[in-house]
Amino acid sequence: MAGKSGRSINNVPESSIKRMIFSWEGILVLIFIAVNIFCAFFSEFYNLSSLLRQMPVYLAEVFLMLTMAYILVLGEIDISVGSIVCLSATMSCIVCNTNAPFIVVVLTALIVGTICGAINGFILTKFQELPPMIVTLATQIIFRGIAEIVLGSGGSISVTNTDGFRMIGGKVGEVPYILFLVLILAVIFAVILGKSTFGRRVYAIGTNRLTAYYSGIHVQKIRMIIYTVMGTISGLCALFLVASSYGANTTTGNGFEMDAIAMAVFGGISSTGGKGNLAGGVISAFIIVCLRVGLGQKNVHAQVILLIIGVLLVAAVALPNIVGQVKRAVQVKNK
Amino acid sequence: MNKKVISALLCGTMILGAASPVFAAGEGQKIALVGKSAGNAFFEIAAASFQETVEAEGGEVEVVYPETATADAQIKVLDNLISQDFDAICIAANDVNALQAKLEEAMDAGIKVSSFDSAPNKDSRQVFINQAGTQAVGQALIDAVLDITGGEGQFAILSATSQAANQNAWIEAMQTIMEGDEKYSGLELVEVAYGDDEPQKSTDQTAALIQNYPDLKVICAPTTVGIAAAAKYLQDNEATCKLTGLGLPSEMLEYTGDDDAHSCPYFYLWDMQGLGKLSAYATMALVSGDITGALDETFTAGDLGEYTITEADDGGTEIVLGEPLQFTPENIEEYAELY
Repeated sequence: MAGKSGRSINNVPESSIKRMIFSWEGILVLIFIAVNIFCAFFSEFYNLSSLLRQMPVYLAEVFLMLTMAYILVLGEIDISVGSIVCLSATMSCIVCNTNAPFIVVVLTALIVGTICGAINGFILTKFQELPPMIVTLATQIIFRGIAEIVLGSGGSISVTNTDGFRMIGGKVGEVPYILFLVLILAVIFAVILGKSTFGRRVYAIGTNRLTAYYSGIHVQKIRMIIYTVMGTISGLCALFLVASSYGANTTTGNGFEMDAIAMAVFGGISSTGGKGNLAGGVISAFIIVCLRVGLGQKNVHAQVILLIIGVLLVAAVALPNIVGQVKRAVQVKNK
Repeated sequence: MNKKVISALLCGTMILGAASPVFAAGEGQKIALVGKSAGNAFFEIAAASFQETVEAEGGEVEVVYPETATADAQIKVLDNLISQDFDAICIAANDVNALQAKLEEAMDAGIKVSSFDSAPNKDSRQVFINQAGTQAVGQALIDAVLDITGGEGQFAILSATSQAANQNAWIEAMQTIMEGDEKYSGLELVEVAYGDDEPQKSTDQTAALIQNYPDLKVICAPTTVGIAAAAKYLQDNEATCKLTGLGLPSEMLEYTGDDDAHSCPYFYLWDMQGLGKLSAYATMALVSGDITGALDETFTAGDLGEYTITEADDGGTEIVLGEPLQFTPENIEEYAELY
């Protein structure tokens, strides 16, 4: 029953959105190609091998985008993920320094992340009238606060035995493991969101939470699952982050939530809920990665790079609106 | 149609925004200088002097700043630099240990790594260029106190916070030197006050010191915020108590003078220009192979003279620039334009 009703709700917006999303992905692919051509001309050091070598630090954030997309499709937001990353990274470093086997370190990061995510989910589903922005702002402060207390006065920790982290930071030939993992997870997350009943229910909730609820969808259960998985993925991100610096500090993961949201929104996933899909998010994530690597290789001022990404983001959010308004204006005229 | 317009627009933005100076691959050495964050005037003095020195020798320097003052942001910068064809990287590290993996990767790629201002751990660098050892600062400050008091009397210290690592190390050095030498036996350290590097609190602490110790002859403030606040208070209240410490010449200009109308006869600070210059020569010597960063190696740093590589506190190697720079009524105007 629930499945059917979920579908019927979704039928109407899905068909009309689909065309727009499809064309947006087309544009994104073009931009991706354009960015790569541009970077290749701009930087004489820009090639596949330098791109693969520099990619890992950015790819850690792409993990976050995958689950952030679900939260945005719900019409909600989680700005605590950067702090979850910080806390997971800190705890995994501490466990690593007790000479625990590396699998325990990995589990620590994932479990700490999961617990943090579950706390977010618990608060949000128990007190449904609370806005996610405010709740996750509070937990953002709390999680980072705990990490800061654990880290103590020095504010940083480094792993003494780097073997495990060196391993997950490894490569097959020139391709880093993290790239495989990002792509595999991207496919899994995209299929679940795009093709499964669960995914359709997420869209239904994002389109109209009340209608979804009356259609028999377990809205709170789904929200709980998504926020918890967001935490787990943050733990995964933390592991790969530690693999790049062999340590954690109070600024680890700072601002990651915004980068993840930016990638998703640029990929056409609307922050108002119910719209977008992960293919767009993944392509846009790689556009941003390539752009940052290409511009960075010519030592373009860091703030200028951020500015360019900011402009792209505003354009990405504004353009569909502008196009829509123009279309409507034309339609009115024709009548 | 839409797609074309949109993508053309976006590409246009990128190209416009990305217009940055493109330099021709010149002769000589190519050195990257990595700062802790953009917009630190103090660091920029050293960076400018570094750049000048390298360029005078026919090399080129690219000064790069991370997007935020974090180790993670510096890792991205280092990734970018390793992809390029630099001969050396000189870095002011945002974290002691976090950059190790990347800096080792750079060294494996044949890039020489030096550091100044703030050192990464000993495995992450070939050599560190230190402005002045803790001992040298302590010595300079206690000698200034001895000189200004005239050999005996009470003095107090106005520090930053009670946890500030640098300040605590200098104060400890001062105390050790005092205890170890008869020369300082006439001096009495009455109190170490903490102004928390806040102007108002530093002013209040200064006022309290003056009130509690009427015979106080000198306040020594080894922090730029503290010394500026104390200088203003002492001068405005025409206190007989004098002042010295570590400060910025531009902030201390109106308080520095030999007569009773000024509260501070002289004070100290790092020689950031000298530091930039020495770092430049040391980095160039690494690239040319004159030094490898090993203990006891020597090299000539232009008109700065001969320098020897010594052991650093962390077990790595360092080159110590020397004494902190003294600012007197004679030279302060010249330096005030810089700092």
